[in-house]
Amino acid sequence: MRRARFALLLALAAALPAQVSYERLVNARREPQNWLTYWGDYTAIRHRDLSQVHTGNVKDLRMDWMFQTGVPGAFQTVPLVVNGIMYFTAAGGQAFALDARTGRQLWHYKHAFPPGRRAGSVNRGFAILGDRLFMVTPDCNVVALETLTGRLAWQTEIVPYKKGTYYATVAPLAVKDKIIVGISGGEEGTRGFIDAYNAATGERAWRFWTVPAKGEPGGETWLGDSWMRGGGPAWLTGSFDPALNTLYWGIGNPGPDLYGGDRLGDNLYTDSLVALDPDSGKLKWHFQFTPHDTHDWDACQTLMLLDLNWQGRPRKLVVQANRNAFFYVLDRETGEFLMGKPFARQTWAKGLDAKGRPIVLPNTEPSPEGTRLCPGLAGATNWMAPSYNPQTGLFYLPVREQCDIYYSSPPKYIEGKPYWGSVFRGVTDEKEWGLLKALDPLTGETRWDFRYHRAPWAGTLSTAGGLVFAGDEDGYLMAFDARSGKDLWKFYTGNRLVSSPITYEVNGRQYITMPSGAALLTFALPEGAQARQ
Amino acid sequence: MIAVLFLSALAAAAQSPPDFADGRAIYRSNCAFCHGLTGRGGRGPALVGRTLMHGSTDEDLRAVIRGGVPGTTMPAFETMEPDELDRLVAFIRHMGGSASPAAEIAGDPARGRQIYQRTECASCHRVGDRGSVYGPDLTRIGAARSLEYLRESLLAPSADILQEYEGVTVVTGEGKQVTGIRVNEDNFTVQLRDASQQFRMFVKNEVSQVKHEAKSLMPAYGSLPPADLQDLLAYLGSLRGSIKAGGDVRKADGIR
Repeated sequence: MRRARFALLLALAAALPAQVSYERLVNARREPQNWLTYWGDYTAIRHRDLSQVHTGNVKDLRMDWMFQTGVPGAFQTVPLVVNGIMYFTAAGGQAFALDARTGRQLWHYKHAFPPGRRAGSVNRGFAILGDRLFMVTPDCNVVALETLTGRLAWQTEIVPYKKGTYYATVAPLAVKDKIIVGISGGEEGTRGFIDAYNAATGERAWRFWTVPAKGEPGGETWLGDSWMRGGGPAWLTGSFDPALNTLYWGIGNPGPDLYGGDRLGDNLYTDSLVALDPDSGKLKWHFQFTPHDTHDWDACQTLMLLDLNWQGRPRKLVVQANRNAFFYVLDRETGEFLMGKPFARQTWAKGLDAKGRPIVLPNTEPSPEGTRLCPGLAGATNWMAPSYNPQTGLFYLPVREQCDIYYSSPPKYIEGKPYWGSVFRGVTDEKEWGLLKALDPLTGETRWDFRYHRAPWAGTLSTAGGLVFAGDEDGYLMAFDARSGKDLWKFYTGNRLVSSPITYEVNGRQYITMPSGAALLTFALPEGAQARQ
Repeated sequence: MIAVLFLSALAAAAQSPPDFADGRAIYRSNCAFCHGLTGRGGRGPALVGRTLMHGSTDEDLRAVIRGGVPGTTMPAFETMEPDELDRLVAFIRHMGGSASPAAEIAGDPARGRQIYQRTECASCHRVGDRGSVYGPDLTRIGAARSLEYLRESLLAPSADILQEYEGVTVVTGEGKQVTGIRVNEDNFTVQLRDASQQFRMFVKNEVSQVKHEAKSLMPAYGSLPPADLQDLLAYLGSLRGSIKAGGDVRKADGIR
């Protein structure tokens, strides 16, 4: 009897860790109290059905707790929240678990760097599957940690680390039994790829090279052997459609960034969306936004999956506000181009043709004398997340209005050195600015906007409280009325914001979290206030 | 045979007359922004036709390019390869041609100093510990700027306004106008320094207007007699003191 009870206890204990199954990830939007993937769920809409904080009471929102990581460097993480526990990464291969209600630490992981290895570079966050968390390290490993202890379960080298070549920053994506990661190093003369690892063992399941080799389909879009250093990193998390069994991933710029003379051709699959089979890594289709790019306008930005009524019939869409200043709508079953409209000032293309290929204006190439062009190299938007509210039907987008002078000269490839093909400079005849825009994704038209003093690097979050949360370059976390764009609340965090806010709920209380500086700031209505709503 | 001749001709072309194309490309994309397309200076000092502040040997030039000049806006080009550095320095020498450093500044700096005092430049500018912090510090302006840039600043001050010296006028709720140099600004607030050197700080939704001045707050000095202008320039050009170190002080991270 006693033995039986003990066995039962043992079984319970073994079952205790929160099992984040693949099914939970598929249905992540049905658990608005949690934040289960980098984008919140597979569709990347960044909208949550939490409405305790709403347009009427957001003015009372205040900081509830703050956690200081003590880790220097840009804090670009997006935390995950599972059943009251927050998991997040920081720069330099570090990670933390906290009590999401109080901010008190549960564990702190530090990656073991081999001696003499630089521990820098940003990290964008975790993936969770089962009772394990998955992150990449600056020196090109995937590590799996136990959710309960933060202890290392396995570590797999993505590529042998060599300073100044490949590195890793991406938040992995868990799909079925695999962990998908993309590599960084588009300015370092590397050849990009997307990998899948077996979540249980850490063994690599497949690799998709984002730049095809000579003789492979697409290889003809590269002059000579330029494909070997062709870039095409994949440093931002993709999205996934379980019903279509398709993984959508945005591919980065070709290299060298600013000089295209040695890589004539379209340079597939740089600046493209690739639709992959997550089981095999095989390419289903692709769409290239910026063929033969010479302005570093990668296409890594959020690929949002929307099911909308497109011109009278329901259609499965993938939309992206691209760094090149155009907002794109594609059919995500076929890759068919449906619409592309500029959402910011652009001086490089006359427009897009019927297939979505840009009609490039003359004299827009970088040059030895310098070529003035908008948007600037950082793009009209970048990694900061847009969001979509199904109730308003609007797409909320941080926009950068900033132009650069692009210089060019033929570079010499030296392993370990940047491979830019010259430089870029901000223009001095006008100041940059930014916008938070609410776009109608069916037309690309702006419904409202809010002007920022400077071009932002922080993203947005949409909630069922009729709110859009957004951050700016001066350090304000702000809340806007999702329908009118009126600014309803703000908090000065004291440091520029370079990530995107999340929301979650613990014990019936809604929280909003934003990284700023080396701290994680969490906001809620005053204790007890929610009872009065 | 023909092929061999052709190849050796190619080799000769590649070696013999010094080809400055590489150096020019490096210069244009990294240096011309401040030092001008022809090296005659701009926001940054002239690199040709004058004695250089930090030494004039090739080795000095290389050291300054790689290491930058602390406390000034000259950045360090740490990633530049030794051969790129060689080609860049060779091109800077090439631009200089036979320009003589002696012919630097005509005019009488001593008399220029009197003109500086007479025109009350110090009511806005500081040299060493004297003067006002309203406008740019002039302690080492002769080293930091080309003569042409300084002339332009006196005759047409609005031609190039540094971001940290842009003018802003705030109209308060009571209709009072406060003009000053913008110290910092964001979506919701603005901070100025007024002519009395005081910080003035505003929340935008508490004032009726925030106007960004398109023109410099500095008056133009085109009415100065040409000889006075030349002497004043000679004085400004002679200002090559060092601004007290003790760390890099930026007014605000927001201004850049």
